[in-house]
Amino acid sequence: MAALDTLKAFFEASLKPSPTVFVIGFAFVLLFPILLHFLVTQKSAYTTLPSVLLVGPSGAGKTALLTLFERGPLAPAPSEKPTSTAPASPTPTHTSQAPAAVELAVSSDGTSSFRDDLDATGTTAKRFLLIDTPGHAKLRRLALSHLSPAKPSTSPTSSYSATPKSKLKGLVFVLDAAALADGDGLPATAAYLYDVLLALQKRASGAKGSKPPPAIPVLIAANKLDLFTALPAALVKSNLEAELGRIRKTRSRGLLDSGVGADDDVAGAGEGDDWLGEYGSDKFSFKQMLEFDIEVEVIGGSVVGDGPGADRWWKWIGQRI
Amino acid sequence: MLDTFEILTTSGVVLWSRTYAHVSPSVVNNFIADVFIEEKSAVVGAKDGASAAANPLYKYDQHTLRWTFEKELGIIFVAVYRSLLHLSWIDKLVDNIRAIFVSLYGDQLKKPNTTIVECLKFDEYFDQQLHELEQTGGKLDRSEVRAFEDEADSEILGKEPPAPAGLIQRSQPQDDTLDSSPVATPSASRPSTPAVNHLVVAKAGPVAKMSRRARKGQNTNSGLVSSGDEGSARKSKAKAAKRGRKWDADGFADEDDDVQLDYSAPNAVTSDSEAEAAGRPGAVEEVDASTWGSNTKGKFVLRDLGDEVHSILASAGAKNGIEKPGSPAGLVGSGLSAISGLFRNVVGGKVLTKEDLDKAMKGMEEHLLKKNVAREAAVRLCDGVEKELIGVKTGNFESIDTRIRKAMEASLTKMLTPTSSLDLLRDIDSITAPPVTSLRKARPYVMSIVGVNGVGKSTNLSKICFFLLQNKYKVLIAAGDTFRSGAVEQLAVHVRNLKELTAREGGKVELYQKGYGKDAATVAKDAVAFAAQEGFDVVLIDTAGRRHNDQRLMSSLEKFAKFAQPDKILMVGEALVGTDSVAQARNFNAAFGSGRSLDGFIISKCDTVGDMVGTLVSIVHATNVPVLFVGVGQHYSDLRNFSVKWGVEKLLSSN
Ligand SMILES: Nc1nc2c(ncn2[C@@H]2O[C@H](COP(=O)(O)OP(=O)(O)OP(=O)(O)O)[C@@H](O)[C@H]2O)c(=O)[nH]1
Ligand SMILES: [Mg+2]
Repeated sequence: MAALDTLKAFFEASLKPSPTVFVIGFAFVLLFPILLHFLVTQKSAYTTLPSVLLVGPSGAGKTALLTLFERGPLAPAPSEKPTSTAPASPTPTHTSQAPAAVELAVSSDGTSSFRDDLDATGTTAKRFLLIDTPGHAKLRRLALSHLSPAKPSTSPTSSYSATPKSKLKGLVFVLDAAALADGDGLPATAAYLYDVLLALQKRASGAKGSKPPPAIPVLIAANKLDLFTALPAALVKSNLEAELGRIRKTRSRGLLDSGVGADDDVAGAGEGDDWLGEYGSDKFSFKQMLEFDIEVEVIGGSVVGDGPGADRWWKWIGQRI
Repeated sequence: MLDTFEILTTSGVVLWSRTYAHVSPSVVNNFIADVFIEEKSAVVGAKDGASAAANPLYKYDQHTLRWTFEKELGIIFVAVYRSLLHLSWIDKLVDNIRAIFVSLYGDQLKKPNTTIVECLKFDEYFDQQLHELEQTGGKLDRSEVRAFEDEADSEILGKEPPAPAGLIQRSQPQDDTLDSSPVATPSASRPSTPAVNHLVVAKAGPVAKMSRRARKGQNTNSGLVSSGDEGSARKSKAKAAKRGRKWDADGFADEDDDVQLDYSAPNAVTSDSEAEAAGRPGAVEEVDASTWGSNTKGKFVLRDLGDEVHSILASAGAKNGIEKPGSPAGLVGSGLSAISGLFRNVVGGKVLTKEDLDKAMKGMEEHLLKKNVAREAAVRLCDGVEKELIGVKTGNFESIDTRIRKAMEASLTKMLTPTSSLDLLRDIDSITAPPVTSLRKARPYVMSIVGVNGVGKSTNLSKICFFLLQNKYKVLIAAGDTFRSGAVEQLAVHVRNLKELTAREGGKVELYQKGYGKDAATVAKDAVAFAAQEGFDVVLIDTAGRRHNDQRLMSSLEKFAKFAQPDKILMVGEALVGTDSVAQARNFNAAFGSGRSLDGFIISKCDTVGDMVGTLVSIVHATNVPVLFVGVGQHYSDLRNFSVKWGVEKLLSSN
């Protein structure tokens, strides 16, 4: 009986318009949908994997590299192909318009090759995401947004290649070493590299007060060394350094950007802000980036053909994960 | 005939392809850059996954491309063929292939974090479609197809005469695992796996329109078709095909039964009605029941692939038909969904529909118009954003408006960002002091400025000159306005001022003028020659202002461009100008003849319009030529590099 009474009392109390009931009821009404929402959306959430970003000008071979790492070198293409003369053709690729992420794994000591099937051998593997970005000038924002100190905005254009937010462990700047040899290739490639390095530098120096974000090492992958017109890695490095120095000089002398009025305190805010590397130094070298904790390495290789291959790049990535 | 057919993702990976004749990858690359990234052939609505017939053809380097785009999965289907040919069936092929591919591999394509799609089997489906459509369509344009096929044939086979069928049969071992001979079927880019027991070999109708190559293949096969024992009518399912087709029906055949498939006999009879049926979904069953079902029982007829394809196409067609009305699930259901819709609108996670977007897009369009964006450009931008957002899920706590804003910001940024960035000083240096390795000779850098009357051509020219002088260049200003009285004197005043202002900076500026009445093109040419002689670094050529609809004056620009050979032609546009901006920009861009166009815009008087910088958008929309500089005041120093971020912020700021 007593139990029934208390139950009755409870019902009575809960039906009376008392303030506690209002508050509890109101809170319930408010919070329930929110909880529900999170319950619903939770299951699509990703566990955060470390990631490595692929950037570089269009046609450098980023997507080709991505597919190589994902699939391994394909067995020599069907030789009955009547029209093709290429001995071993990789997955064909075309200009990218959207980023793509691929989940890869490397053994925990970072020594396995991308050809190894880690599941089969049963070694403990570290998984990571390799993120390919479009190199077309109009779409570079998608790549650079990963580097801004603010949270990377996931690509709004495509739900297909949802880029989960992730810890960036390294950046691979792929370039076409054969294109550097002639006229416009060098300035165009270097201009993009300049923007990338400057974004990294700002990221490192921007958060001065708070804890600096973890450093992102940079690999400059001189691709297509299988072609005889390609410059060797050492030459790629020195040419890039010279060109970056030139760009740095002309940019410092260039016009102000719109939006930066003369009335803004240019002298205070601007000085050295857009200067890559050691301020005021005459020559640029990649070593200057160490000041900002950015380690830059140039390694040659090739995705297709019987060149040096891509193993050294894979090793570099494996060591940073 | 087709040169190549490719199925590729927006991230640039080719999922499947079939090549008949080598096509340089640059053809497809240019197609992607022009149509999808730079949106040059900006036909509104081109990217919404309409059928291939609705999408504009893309032509490049003697090739024509027919394409369609599956937005949700981000895949592009593109067929490349020689522009000389007229292939009437090609849109149908592209559309059908898309329907089949999406229905077979749609699930695989939705998987995150991978670019691998297992679609080796797709070869068979493609062959089936190609032959079916070729046979119906081929009758219309037989002659052209034939002419080309012969040509292709000789390309591949050399001048090998068609061997008699019997001979070939003897030369081929009577092995039932006869592979499709390398010559008979052009291979896809992927290796055929051994798992595909039943290789489909080129089939031909009795109509002798096949190429020698294919005919040969057929002859070879016909002798071998005998051992099959496939029986009852199979209901085809997409699933079954994915596993690889197993001949399990009635326990007659097993996987190891390497039967050679042959389509020729039954298909030849029905191929016409069949192809038509694909177009009219309703008719498929009919054909199925009468022609296909019972009367073939007990014979060796392999039509399950065709069946399957047709049922896929039929269901795809049916889906398109039904999708429109929606599905009201009673009063309670609709009420519930309305509530959850409202709720989703607040906390996000709502899947956007056209109705949701329509109203909000109207608001966005109004907003852009208020910012002085020409209606044409505003409509294009809004349509693009709407197409992009339909079916997209909003993020956590994201309302429709914020989502639209975000998408619009992305579209504007993409539109306004130049395809190649300009570093003017670097550019000048590379011309006036070319690297020793290049074989070019040093010469002065030539820039000319055009525009309608009174927009500030001379002023902006002087601003650029001031900037160059600060960087210690030697500049020659050429008075190319030989038309309007006072123009030369006005420039002379500018030059005098500039001299005074920059006397201590180390630059040097002179005026080159030949008075009035002379031909402007000749004056410009002489000025360039003079500058080369005297060691100037840069020549800035002023031109007469002209109405963009003044035929006579506009046509003289072509000669001007040919004579002066400017490295850069910049057009000055006024921020104040309204709807006229689109026509102005277009006419000027087209005025320099076929090989030449504008290189950039200078938008003057940006300080007078506040946030209403819509002219930027209008002109870039009209020409795809980037805005390089903006003028922001009356002083020589009031010239700025155009920052895309700044522009987009102004355009989207409210009030
Ligand atoms: N010879 C040679 N060609 C290569 C090599 N790597 C890539 N390529 C080719 O370069 C072309 C462009 O490669 P992609 O990977 O599509 O270029 P991307 O960097 O992704 O370009 P975007 O997507 O436009 O940014 C392809 O045709 C590749 O086959 C290489 O090591 N050697
Ligand atoms: Mg790519």
